[in-house]
Amino acid sequence: MTVSMAERRMETAQHEARSDWRGKMLDRAPFLVACLMLTAIVTTYGSYQTGVFTLDELNLDTSASMTLMLAATGQTIVLLRGGIDLSIGGMISLGTVIAATQFGETPGSVAFWSLAILAIGLGVGALNGMMISLLRLQPFLVTLATWSILNGIAMIILPTDGGSVPGWWVEFGYMQLLGIASPVWMLLLLLVFWTWFRATQLGVAIKATGSNEKSAFLSGVSISRINVATYGLSGLFASGAALFLTTQIGAGSPTIGKDYILPSVAAAVIGGVSLFGGRGHLAGTLIGAFILTLIGNLVFVLKVSSYWQPVASGVILLLSVLASSVAERAAKARAS
Amino acid sequence: MNAFVGRNRLILLAYAGMVVLLLVTALFSPGFLSASNLRSTVVLAAFVGIVALGQTFVIIGGGIDLSIPWVLNSAAIVMALLCGSQDAPLMWVMPLVLVGGAMVGFVNGAGVAWFGVPPIIMTLATNVILQGLILVLTGGSPAPSVPGVIKFLAVGRVGGIPVIALIWIVLTLIATLLLSKAAFGRHLYALGTSATVAEFSGVPTARTTVLTYVFSGLTAALAGMLLTGYSGQAYLGMGDAYLFTSVAAVAIGGASILGGSGHYLGTVAGALVLTILTGLLPALNLSNGALLVVYGAVILITVSIGSEVFAGLGGRLRGKGRA
Repeated sequence: MTVSMAERRMETAQHEARSDWRGKMLDRAPFLVACLMLTAIVTTYGSYQTGVFTLDELNLDTSASMTLMLAATGQTIVLLRGGIDLSIGGMISLGTVIAATQFGETPGSVAFWSLAILAIGLGVGALNGMMISLLRLQPFLVTLATWSILNGIAMIILPTDGGSVPGWWVEFGYMQLLGIASPVWMLLLLLVFWTWFRATQLGVAIKATGSNEKSAFLSGVSISRINVATYGLSGLFASGAALFLTTQIGAGSPTIGKDYILPSVAAAVIGGVSLFGGRGHLAGTLIGAFILTLIGNLVFVLKVSSYWQPVASGVILLLSVLASSVAERAAKARAS
Repeated sequence: MNAFVGRNRLILLAYAGMVVLLLVTALFSPGFLSASNLRSTVVLAAFVGIVALGQTFVIIGGGIDLSIPWVLNSAAIVMALLCGSQDAPLMWVMPLVLVGGAMVGFVNGAGVAWFGVPPIIMTLATNVILQGLILVLTGGSPAPSVPGVIKFLAVGRVGGIPVIALIWIVLTLIATLLLSKAAFGRHLYALGTSATVAEFSGVPTARTTVLTYVFSGLTAALAGMLLTGYSGQAYLGMGDAYLFTSVAAVAIGGASILGGSGHYLGTVAGALVLTILTGLLPALNLSNGALLVVYGAVILITVSIGSEVFAGLGGRLRGKGRA
């Protein structure tokens, strides 16, 4: 009798351990799918082109992805909160336009205006968060409206693409340390930032608010403060993306920002960040951004029309979101 | 009467705003109220209004349709490529394109309703896939000629009234009947208010969701074909502006983006407000950039008026809102 009791207990423990392991795998299914897709893309790319598995290629690809990565970092924070930020498109346009019209030749002027652009991004984002909390408005509509306003201001400052930035500013992307280009260092910095940020009080509170706003509020989290911080950070990263973008295009563009709004959401979703809030990791988003950028390279080496690129990214987006939805359902089934 | 005003407060406000805007515009540019100018305003508003019809249904149901730009663009390109400048093929091309639009909508709805994909992602994916397919199909070049019948439908007149305005009126009647009189409308509001409650009350939530996206695909395809008649060609990117304007028209018309409230009659006012604004700004010597700033401000103001904070302190007292 006692033997069978012990046996049964052991069986239950084993079963629990197994289902716990399965649960963890399911939780990470979207992220693992993203890793698999990236591996498949890089392998295919590498079998058609020589020199793919070199540091030079990593430098190039990271440089091509970095604007999207920065924008998507802010978007990831907002998505974890359970919101969405469409205004980053306007902020990116506005940032490039201010830089291209105000940057002087001296480092002092560039530093001053860079800080000003970052401050504007932070401020506008905080304003988004404030409106969402105080007026109880939907993030989608508030940020749609601020996107339009920021984009309009950018067009007033610089009606068409143009302006210029100092020559040395454009060199930034090519600067290397130990053979590794600056964008790759930025990528590492982003990961370090995330490792630190997700463990901070703010990071934990953002994620908790995203998973369950009511229980976060009941545990003493100030939702208005979280909103201001979340959207403020998103605006800050968007203005950072704008600054990086000016090192690549060497000019300002009042319309370029819209190319990053939905791709930033797509990169996060491909990387396993849930649109329902509370679930995801920046590493996934960065892999998502790599995937979206590398599809372009892949289409090029496969010698098919570059017009297939959007089709491929749409299909990849659908595949990853289906993986997320399976994971989401499994999580719900376990919770209930 | 009071109950009527209370229920439709936001829609009435949208119309009041439209009238004020019309008067202000007339003040700044005296020619604005001329018959020809009003006609061209209504024609432009009709395109926004038709596209926003499907978007209204989707938003009332608690979703959003981001695939409108390239459903519209695909419909325009396919119609122009198949017909050229000939009228006869329209007999089968128009139904074909409409069915195509409905099918894209069906795919969107199926992904949302049956596979649990968030609407933003589902419709974003179909949008980029359609964009790529159309680029591959056309190699990036526009389709330069469109049938005369389409031109007549878009810019022609019957007894001084633009044909497209008549089409818009018919569609408005159909939408109003569907929302206010049909079982579909009751199901839709129930679904948008709370999908769970609707499901338990026996509302066919999945079917209703799919139907909203099918409607959206249909109206986007129709608007795409008509728009070629206005611009005289089908070019790539012609649908891009309609994503923002369709959502903005719905929001200005008083619908909550969370679903469960709003009416197409509000969206009609929203479409007119957006179009009148485009006419007001040249009169004030303002640029396109200023127009975008004004659009943003108008959206912020209208959704603020609609928010719980301004709708009396109801939400706060019931303690249902967020802190």
